[in-house]
Amino acid sequence: MSHTLHRCGTPRNLKDDFVILSMSAKTVNVKGSGPKMKKLFGILGKHEYVNFGEVKTGSRYNSEWEIVHEGFKDQSVVHYVFNDRKVLKNVLSEIKEAELGLSVIVSGVIDSINDLCQQVGLKMHTVEFSGGILGKTDLLPEKPVLQITTMCGHGLVATNLVKKMAKQVKRGMKTLEEAAIELAKPCMCGVFNTKRAEDLLKQFDK
Amino acid sequence: MLIDQEKCDGCSRCIPYCPVNAILLHKKDKKKGVDAYAEINRDECVECSVCFRSAGCPANAIREEELGWPRILRKAFSDPVYTHKGTDIPGRGTEEMKTNDVTGRFLDGFIGFGLEFGRPGIGTRFSDTEKAIKKLLPLGVKLEPCNPLTELIDNPDTGDLKKEVLDEKVLSAIVEGIIPVDMCQNVFAAIKEIAQEIDTVFSLDIISKVGPGETIPAIQEMESAGLSRAINGKVNIGVGHPLFKNN
Repeated sequence: MSHTLHRCGTPRNLKDDFVILSMSAKTVNVKGSGPKMKKLFGILGKHEYVNFGEVKTGSRYNSEWEIVHEGFKDQSVVHYVFNDRKVLKNVLSEIKEAELGLSVIVSGVIDSINDLCQQVGLKMHTVEFSGGILGKTDLLPEKPVLQITTMCGHGLVATNLVKKMAKQVKRGMKTLEEAAIELAKPCMCGVFNTKRAEDLLKQFDK
Repeated sequence: MLIDQEKCDGCSRCIPYCPVNAILLHKKDKKKGVDAYAEINRDECVECSVCFRSAGCPANAIREEELGWPRILRKAFSDPVYTHKGTDIPGRGTEEMKTNDVTGRFLDGFIGFGLEFGRPGIGTRFSDTEKAIKKLLPLGVKLEPCNPLTELIDNPDTGDLKKEVLDEKVLSAIVEGIIPVDMCQNVFAAIKEIAQEIDTVFSLDIISKVGPGETIPAIQEMESAGLSRAINGKVNIGVGHPLFKNN
């Protein structure tokens, strides 16, 4: 369930791509965690975000903030996507102050996360690395496509949909924003970064 | 998933939404008097429900069906909205490092690993995951007991999966375990061999608790094994409560 881990990209296009995930542990602190998640979801929602979601109630692009906010239960998982280091720093600071006791995971460039954690007085506790893709890699689509599809770690954003959206943008049938939103709809957790997708779709024109 | 051929008007809108390219379009056949329609290749379909939820079929022709054993596994491993009974959390895996600050699942001196078969976007048959399990068990690797894939093992000594599940196709299934640091090189070598023997891809996860002096043992171990390491990853920032205390 490492659906925010293997986001393919370059140092340049990954540098402003951050996902916050929060959950309780089934064997430790799950009881009564739903209201805490709701509170955290509200705190994070005050900051400038790109996407949000909870797999059962949906994301910014296939549900509504209020529906997700009201739907938190003890075994829910909070997701938010941010695309600005300054915003993320403020988010981390508020998470620390809130002392909700939920586990929080930040996905992104690890050195940047470490740096921001230190700035707000937090320490990295555990790190998960991506060791890349192994096996029959000739089955994979081209890198520009992969950089978009891997933003849904559950694999719900199809290669052919990326190609279709890129074609529609090129033909003027969709704006970059409209195409990115259409690509985000299958991602139920809300971890798909539409702003990054817009930038990546521009590559297809070249 | 099913497409009602009576309702389908063959517009093909659903086709690009399928992550595993399992929707076929039958063209209009004037001689036979058959209109165009889309059909799902049930052998390739992983029951992720993306076509049903996201494609916006104008004829309302796509529907989910009741799934029996073992086909229900396709949904359990491919549709994150479905909650697996064993883990009680949606998706293919476990809490892994996400709650490590309170569970202590990964301690100093140990490394976690995950082979996410079928990811990204290719899909896998369980027969490929069996190859990995059978390669890792003889090395003394203990697989994560709460992982839904581990539950499909028929023989814990050999790693054989239940025969009836082997040909089921899913978007992703994770072979997940924890090993002492001194086993890393053997296990990483086996992982490289597994990569040569499968008919799909896997994404490799490596997990490490940040140790004393801010050291991260996984970095050294990955470098020694010649494994690549992306600049981006996941960080548990240690704000969970009560914090796990290692005795």
